[in-house]
Amino acid sequence: MHKFILKRIFSMIVAMFMIALLTFSMMHSVPGGPFTRDRKLPPEVEIALNEKYNLDAPLHEQFFSYIADAIKGDLGPSFRYTGKTVNDFIESGFPTSAKLGVITIIFVLITAIPMGILAAVKSGKWQDMFIMAVATIGVTIPSFIIASMLIYVFSFQLNWLPTYGVDKWSGYILPTIALGGYSVSYIARLMRSSLLEVMGQDYIRTARSKGLSDIKVITKHALRNALVPIVTVLGPTVAGLLTGSFVIEKIFALPGLGMHFVNGVAERDYTTIMGVTLFYAAFLLAMVLVVDIFYVLIDPRIKFDN
Amino acid sequence: MDNKWDLLETTDADRERIYAKSRTFTQDVWFRFRKKPTAIAGFIIILILLIFAGIGPTFTNYNYVDQNLAMSNIPPLLKVFVSPDQKSYLYITQSLKIININSDGTLNTQLSKVREETEKKMTIFDYNGTEVALYYGVNPYLIVDEPTGDIYEKKTIWNKSYILGTDSLGRDILTRLMYGTRVSMTVAFIAAFVNMIVGIIYGGISGYMGSKVDMVMMRIVDIISTIPLTLYVILVMVILGSGLQSIVIALGSVYWVNMARVVRGQVLSLKEQEFVIVAKTLGSSTSTILFKHLIPNAMGSILVTVTMLIPSAIFMEAFLGYIGIGLQPPLASLGTMCNEATAALRTSPHTLLAPALVICIIMFAFNFVGDGLRDALDPKLKK
Repeated sequence: MHKFILKRIFSMIVAMFMIALLTFSMMHSVPGGPFTRDRKLPPEVEIALNEKYNLDAPLHEQFFSYIADAIKGDLGPSFRYTGKTVNDFIESGFPTSAKLGVITIIFVLITAIPMGILAAVKSGKWQDMFIMAVATIGVTIPSFIIASMLIYVFSFQLNWLPTYGVDKWSGYILPTIALGGYSVSYIARLMRSSLLEVMGQDYIRTARSKGLSDIKVITKHALRNALVPIVTVLGPTVAGLLTGSFVIEKIFALPGLGMHFVNGVAERDYTTIMGVTLFYAAFLLAMVLVVDIFYVLIDPRIKFDN
Repeated sequence: MDNKWDLLETTDADRERIYAKSRTFTQDVWFRFRKKPTAIAGFIIILILLIFAGIGPTFTNYNYVDQNLAMSNIPPLLKVFVSPDQKSYLYITQSLKIININSDGTLNTQLSKVREETEKKMTIFDYNGTEVALYYGVNPYLIVDEPTGDIYEKKTIWNKSYILGTDSLGRDILTRLMYGTRVSMTVAFIAAFVNMIVGIIYGGISGYMGSKVDMVMMRIVDIISTIPLTLYVILVMVILGSGLQSIVIALGSVYWVNMARVVRGQVLSLKEQEFVIVAKTLGSSTSTILFKHLIPNAMGSILVTVTMLIPSAIFMEAFLGYIGIGLQPPLASLGTMCNEATAALRTSPHTLLAPALVICIIMFAFNFVGDGLRDALDPKLKK
């Protein structure tokens, strides 16, 4: 167990280093520096700026000092907004994004799992057909289209919910549905197929032959094993929600991290792009690690080799 | 043969004869594929979309860059007023102008403004010598006879000049949709092709070489797959700048990881089979064994992965276009069209509906075809 976790943490660190190297070299291969403006800066100002931001040092030195700072938790200043650091953006944006993310995960789990169970129990009946049809639509339609349509129907036509902002709790409803739509559909489908598979196994027949009711068989025996694949996809799901939130935060004008990232991309704010990318990557890898450990803990059948 | 219970005379040759025509692999696949109605529907839809995107633009009267600001944001379904002489219709645009519409539904010209009657809340326009007034005191606005205040008869007609309406710059949405579909499909096909080539070479070498080479190559793949692909694509786009080439490079350099894994898995299981040993004994070179013997046998799984890759490439392209780092205007892609449309969602939802619908149709079609192909190429995989 410890060996497994240590191995995973080690590969995580390697991956983080690779990501940092990749983003760093990409950002520095861009034509035009961070201070390239329409109006050319006087040379002495440019030299002073380069000195201030340590841009005159050789590239590898810059890289290692950036890494050293990043490990200490300092992601450097924003190149576009004087006086702001990348940490400021993360501190101001992350709570909103995290809140939306947590709400969405809860929403996904409490809708998708019952949907999948119902579809599996009523397999072949109209309930199953209906849920699977909805899930197929949910998997194929991009989230920004779902979001726009939700806004048009619920905000413009019916005037029930706000189009932007999260000042009130009702502001979370549409972003949550739009962001979670794909994951709900995906997990519902997975839940259905995994429960159907488990229901065909011998120990379920044993439970049935003991005379247990259908509900008991499902909740006490089948569900525990059927949930294992769901846990496996939770890591990628979190990743999907995170990157999906770029577009959702933009549409609903939520002041989250994704919006800062997209703005940074639009304004070519290189340190912000780099910093937020690193932050996202670290967060994601940590989430995947947690899910992996959890996965091994809940299913004793899984061995720790590899 | 009076007695029906007599045995028929048979020969050995008769018994061994194969009555049904033997099918080639392709025919076999086609036979299984066409049994699935969703797969066939998806296939036909893709063909229709290819025709729509490929040769559609030659049949429209517009170009994707042609702007006509007088005709901006016109929906496909027009709420019009019958003109005073009953010969044509009048339509109020969002910028409070009146467009004269011919009786067959084609758009004519904008009426010229005569004067403003501020206290009456009317703007007076000239219609062939008659004065008509746009009354903006109520919402929705009305066209009335200026002295009497009588409202002209209302009607709803289809827009025949612009079948899907126009966008905020007065460009024909149908034409832009054709170009946009063409761009999105091109990007997706090229990206899928590039990914296929890279994935086959990488996965093939990794699987065939085995041992240490395989381990190192797969560790690299593992590390790459921990990087969220969306982030990576966005980074590549930031560096290369907007444009068709950058999108193709960005998508092409990212999605091969999955393909490499599939190919490696196939090659690993295939390379232990007898025909490979025979090929080795005959002295075939490594590249011959790999590309002449192993890869063609793995083609089934490869094709399925490619078909599944196309919708995700289209999705990614639309995503990039939507967050504004896809193509540069005035080029159209489905994502950029959606992006432009959301700004005016409240007033002209028709600008979003068309591209959104096409994206959904494409996604559905490719997913269905992918499912069908998977079942057809590899019946063992069928769930």
